[in-house]
Amino acid sequence: MIRTIRLFLAAALVFAAFGVPVTQARAAGDTIVFGSAVSLTGSLTKEGHLTQEGYDFWKDYTNAHGGLKVGAKTYKVDIKYYDDESKPNTAQTLAERLIDQDKVDFLLGPYGSGTAFTVAGVAERKKIPMVEGNGAAEKIFNQGYKYTFGVLSPAKKYLQRVLEMAVNQKPRPQTLAISASSDAFSLEVQDGAVTWAQQHGLKVVYANKYPDGATDVSSVISAIKAANPDIILNAGHLQDAILVNKGLKEQNVQAKIIGYSVGPDTPDFVGTLGKDSEDIVGGAQWSEAVGYRGIPGFYRTAKEYADAFDKQFHHRPDYHDAESTAACLAFQYAIQKAGSLDREKVRDALASLSITTFFGLIKFDNRGLNVYKPMVVNQIQNGKLVTVFPAEIANAKLRYPIPVWGKR
Amino acid sequence: MVAVPKPRRGAITGKRWVFLVSLGLMAGLLFVPAGHSDYLNLTFRNILMYAAMSYGWNLIGGYTGYISFGNVAFFGIGAYCSAVLSKAGVDNLFADVGLALIVNALFAVAVGLPILRLRGHYFGIATLGVALGLTDLASNLDFLGGSGGASIKQIGEAHFTTYYYAMWAVTLACMIATFFIARSKLGYAFVAIRENEEAAQVLGISPTRYKVTAWAIGAMMGGAAGAVFGAANGFIDPPTAFAVDNNVFPIAMAILGGMGTASGPFIGALLLSGANELLQQHFLKLHALFFGGIIVLMILFLPRGLMYLVGLRGGMRRWLSDLAVFRV
Amino acid sequence: MQLVLQNLVNGILSGGILALVALGFSLVYGIMNIINLAHGAFLMLGAYITWQLWSTFGLDPILAVPIAFVVLFAFGYGIQRGVINRVVRAPVLATFLLTFALSLLIETTALFVWTGDTRGVQTAYTGANFTLLGVTVPWAKLLTLVVALAITGILYLWLHRSRLGRAIRATSMDVGAAQMVGVRVAHVYGITYALGAGLAAAAGALLTLSYPLTPTMGDPFLIKGFVVCVLGGLGSVEGALVGGLVYGIVSSFATQFDVTIAGQHLSGTGLQDVLALVVLLVVLIVRPTGLVGRATA
Repeated sequence: MIRTIRLFLAAALVFAAFGVPVTQARAAGDTIVFGSAVSLTGSLTKEGHLTQEGYDFWKDYTNAHGGLKVGAKTYKVDIKYYDDESKPNTAQTLAERLIDQDKVDFLLGPYGSGTAFTVAGVAERKKIPMVEGNGAAEKIFNQGYKYTFGVLSPAKKYLQRVLEMAVNQKPRPQTLAISASSDAFSLEVQDGAVTWAQQHGLKVVYANKYPDGATDVSSVISAIKAANPDIILNAGHLQDAILVNKGLKEQNVQAKIIGYSVGPDTPDFVGTLGKDSEDIVGGAQWSEAVGYRGIPGFYRTAKEYADAFDKQFHHRPDYHDAESTAACLAFQYAIQKAGSLDREKVRDALASLSITTFFGLIKFDNRGLNVYKPMVVNQIQNGKLVTVFPAEIANAKLRYPIPVWGKR
Repeated sequence: MVAVPKPRRGAITGKRWVFLVSLGLMAGLLFVPAGHSDYLNLTFRNILMYAAMSYGWNLIGGYTGYISFGNVAFFGIGAYCSAVLSKAGVDNLFADVGLALIVNALFAVAVGLPILRLRGHYFGIATLGVALGLTDLASNLDFLGGSGGASIKQIGEAHFTTYYYAMWAVTLACMIATFFIARSKLGYAFVAIRENEEAAQVLGISPTRYKVTAWAIGAMMGGAAGAVFGAANGFIDPPTAFAVDNNVFPIAMAILGGMGTASGPFIGALLLSGANELLQQHFLKLHALFFGGIIVLMILFLPRGLMYLVGLRGGMRRWLSDLAVFRV
Repeated sequence: MQLVLQNLVNGILSGGILALVALGFSLVYGIMNIINLAHGAFLMLGAYITWQLWSTFGLDPILAVPIAFVVLFAFGYGIQRGVINRVVRAPVLATFLLTFALSLLIETTALFVWTGDTRGVQTAYTGANFTLLGVTVPWAKLLTLVVALAITGILYLWLHRSRLGRAIRATSMDVGAAQMVGVRVAHVYGITYALGAGLAAAAGALLTLSYPLTPTMGDPFLIKGFVVCVLGGLGSVEGALVGGLVYGIVSSFATQFDVTIAGQHLSGTGLQDVLALVVLLVVLIVRPTGLVGRATA
């Protein structure tokens, strides 16, 4: 018996260590295979799930419409997923795996700046084009990489847009307080906002960072309250936005505008905070209200996209869904433009791509970053997310100054 | 005078033949780069890295019996040594590892002298405190790149292979060093402290001196792995350098392989990382459940690690009676 | 001055809940020598039970505290008797790894049951506050503190007065002797672990008032609980309380400190956890068994 168990364990050991390489080859022939490591467990599960929805929506649409026509041939598309557990190191290994073992043709980005950064390094070394829609830290694009493209606006723009809107209000706000979580993305957001504010005559009365993943921000809130600012912003993630918002109400901190970099656009924000989410603004990559008219080949307007998306997934898409679908679209048009699946040709086609989609203009600067698409500002009004800036596409008027806590 | 049970040689390094098998497996790992797969290189480099960290932990936790929860600190310091050198224009793996060894030895002695006076749990938490504190400190220090992290210049064209062999060499060094340390007077002193610290002192073994020695050598092992990792990765930031996984996995590997043996950490690393990788591949979402399940079963049936099973004499009955000791 | 008072209040309020988080962890650690890495997962389960009761029946989170406690008490007892007890006398690391794996199982299961969506509880008094001497005090957090203190007090009395409580303390001092005088150790261990799980759940239930819910929400609290219980002194009720308050106050006051040394800006807000950990190390070096720990703890 013991002998059997020992033998079994020895076999398991050998298998575990050396069974790793044994794997299936890519689905070859008439299918284009994309690979993506997304967060299906861990702290970014929710966002990873949204990313996957955005990708799958495009895949299903394309396959339902006969596939992707490249030159004379039509291909089906498929996406191979792995779970990166919300960890950058795991995402890196999985990207290597997708390329070397699963032989995917192209990479779609993971969710988040940390994971996108490590995967970008892999894409560069292996010369595999990657388009990502969920890593906004400019750090990813300042490495001189040639194979990574981001369809989204960079982190620094997230809250600049809110300030741009704010200084046009009457009475004009004079002072700004901005806190940030200590992660690369959030600090870039904060930096972008502070720089903009200083250039445009807004006085920054509080700018500080708290530890990443903080469980209590009440003392940060107290310090902000003591600075008595007109505008209160926080650069962070959904959790941070919820904690800060609760803290502001608990300590009865009033301001003319309250906004967060990430949070208000996720349905969870309203769900978690209820009416305390009312009147909060957020910088967003996209909203259903944007009025772009895309080129043929996919849903051409945000409205059409959102309605079809709702039918398939039973909820309205938020900007995480949209930017993920947009990443797929960049590939779609670049591959068609290249007329080939050759990675170098597709990379070149991506680099010179300039198309309008339901998501907005997709065009990359020489770092691979889409600096051309503007951000929008959303506000929560009557429990719904409406777009309030820029004025051309706004479907509601900004409530300003926002009512005091308890009067919403 | 209290008698210290003198450990048998086998008890201190584990079975000789198992060690030889481990060396054989290490030799096999030399051929991984021949597969020309970056994925395999990376996966096995990570396994080797975990093994090296596990050896570092094994000296203080497995041999001396002082359970540390903060050995990731040394790994992180090692990685940052590479970053600092790269920033200063020095991109040389020997320099990276050399600096990591020196800095970690000094740091370990400086921190070890006060906290190794603490017993058991209090020592464990103090080490955890050091690791957590360093993580946040690194994100607040500008010259280390803060939260944004620091880039490390990669060397050479075929660098993936170079870094793989560098990590392999570090791990082999840790393995062999552990083997010889365990058989030397040093190793006996470590085990004597683990079995009964007061008795060891009565016998003339200065606990503090030996504890700090075990702690510092372990720190150098983790630091060397960190230095190679930093250079190989080309970039580090606080969450990468001080990752929670890098803290928990090496301990888990040492336990499952066999604490206080010269092959345990390596065997544990192969088994645990391999299992995780396979599950990760085949079960998109359920892999975490299976991974957790495997660990639960391992602990319930092999709480003394795999090395116990290798050395077991007396069959099923002995196994069950050994297990029963742990029940209440 | 006003900010100093406000930060003191902030520190006490956040320390109170940390104390409750650490309390169950400390009991299990001190009495059974188990580093219970599933503590954070139990806390998360308590929070989700509370959220479920609130969203399905509209039950107030405060009223859900006893329910969450009882459910996790039973769950904890089952886990101890069914799983952990088999290796409870193995070296501490065996149970360390076992509970790590259990937390992995629980968190992944929660992900399937409740999805990764962020949830939250809203009550009539969410965010409500009053001002005293210029210091703003949120009702929800004050309520949390009061309930946390009440639980701590009840536990203290129960451990010192009741028969079972004394048996638990006796077992922690000397298992052999306790067994000799007729204590059923397996049952006592089961109860202790169950108490730990129940207390984690109670903390989780209270946290829903101020903290968003996700399946991984327990992780940062687990780490803080780990530190806090040693800061005060392992295995003692008063230790957890003192440790929690000290941790809360230190990290709260840290936000007021801001210096630049040789061009290096050091933000107290960014370094608040570092400062709390430095305090921990200093305390341990000066008093190796924690602030209120006894030499034998």
